[in-house]
Amino acid sequence: MDFMTALDVGGSALSAQRTYMNVIAMNLANAKTTRTADGQGPYQRKSVALESTPVTPFGKAMNAALGDELQGVRVTGIVADGRPAKQVFEPGHPDADQNGYVQYPDINVVEEMTNMIQATRSYEASTSTITTIKSMYNKALEIGR
Amino acid sequence: MPDIYGANADLLAKVMDLRLERQNLVVSNLANINIPGYKARTLEFESQLQQAVGDVQSKNSLTRTSAEHIPSHFDVNGFQGRAVKEFKPRTIYGADAVDMDKEMATMGKNSLMYNALVTVMQKNFEGIKTVIAEGGK
Repeated sequence: MDFMTALDVGGSALSAQRTYMNVIAMNLANAKTTRTADGQGPYQRKSVALESTPVTPFGKAMNAALGDELQGVRVTGIVADGRPAKQVFEPGHPDADQNGYVQYPDINVVEEMTNMIQATRSYEASTSTITTIKSMYNKALEIGR
Repeated sequence: MPDIYGANADLLAKVMDLRLERQNLVVSNLANINIPGYKARTLEFESQLQQAVGDVQSKNSLTRTSAEHIPSHFDVNGFQGRAVKEFKPRTIYGADAVDMDKEMATMGKNSLMYNALVTVMQKNFEGIKTVIAEGGK
């Protein structure tokens, strides 16, 4: 059994949730973006794809069944949401088409905020597991004192 | 031959190992809280361990008809906890497959027990230290 396994797993969760947070911030910041950097229409909402991973490749090969049960988490990619753009009638807008409609990204602020709270809570849970495991390690070090 | 560290030192160490393993599983569950289809894992060992220890003790008292018989001690190295998967995964979007309250409670209990075990072990060693120090006077 690895000594620092729990910290690795906790750390993987922290980084995954932080990535999720970045993507949520990006979505909210671009809620009204009608023109992206590559000139391809409105901004498309993004979400993250997460995946369970074995803690270490070595551990997977060598450990007992117990070690195989431990899983970290990894971001497999930031995927574009396929939902269609919102059509808003705004003839004065520079990005309006010939009928006066502007394509806005379909970003629901409430949905993004909910996801954000979820990511925050998950992050907090992982930090508290890391804190606990640290106190356990410290306590174990007291044995020889 | 009686051990200077007491009969329970090995058992204590084993239980501490198992508790650390349980802690690892809790961390893993919480890390995967947003993964659809992930099943929460738990580590069970208390009843099994109790049984394993009890088996050896009862066997001893039954089978040792002579003091010359070899006593069979409980071997802590052979014992392993059993990781149990939650039977049915939930894949409803937005619903957790991992129960955070449950995991947090498990973690709290686990770390308290771990710390208690460490204290017990420390006291064991302190006792030996005292004997050595006082005996040398």
